[in-house]
Amino acid sequence: MSESLVIEVVRKVVTVDCAVEEAFRVFTEDAMSWWPVATHSIHETVREIVFEPREGGEVYEVSTAGEKGHWATVTGWDPPARLVLAWNILERPGEQTEVEVRFTPEGDGTRVELEHRGWEAVAEGAAEKRADYDTGWGHVLGRYEARL
Amino acid sequence: MSANGHPLDALGDPTRRQVFELLRLGPRSVGDLAAELPVSRPAVSQHLRVLEEAGLARHTKDGTRHLYELDGSGVGALREWVDGFWDEALAGFKAAVESKGGTA
Repeated sequence: MSESLVIEVVRKVVTVDCAVEEAFRVFTEDAMSWWPVATHSIHETVREIVFEPREGGEVYEVSTAGEKGHWATVTGWDPPARLVLAWNILERPGEQTEVEVRFTPEGDGTRVELEHRGWEAVAEGAAEKRADYDTGWGHVLGRYEARL
Repeated sequence: MSANGHPLDALGDPTRRQVFELLRLGPRSVGDLAAELPVSRPAVSQHLRVLEEAGLARHTKDGTRHLYELDGSGVGALREWVDGFWDEALAGFKAAVESKGGTA
């Protein structure tokens, strides 16, 4: 079930008053200063957010009790220009979304463009899941009918 | 929590994520959900409330039955939720960066 499902990409642009290197550094090395951890984290309280600085690296939070919570995988690491993450929001196999963040100089500041795409994989996962479920019930009801 | 809600928080809880996943299969009542999950009906209701506040689920009435559902596969709601999340996160990023160094 993968006919031309198109779900609009999430696009955001923000211009910040600092050099590209600093913008990239704060984004990846100091996420605790800006990520809304109070409302957007896996654990109740978080003491650290880590972006492992390499392709294949992991982005994760560390709770105040020291537990790790996986957020995303780094799939593109090109400092200070670009960062790509594979983010499985629902933690279901095959339902990966992709977040790309680009940092470009603009005047004395930096233009930060964020794109969050790949919703089709999530939609397809849902369609497949629904089909499995329907088939499952068909099977159960078929057995039930056979007994009558 | 505010009316525009917070999807990441809403889905951060494993049971709540399971509720969301079940709703992706189709509309369900609190009783249906409780029967499919190892939690009580009041707990299910609480999770549904959080999902509703985050804009990830809504409830409708089918005769006397209250049903909870997602729009389509739930992906639209999820996307909307993430859209609002990035607005908040990037506003926080801008504030953090600019409070640190000022003009480069």
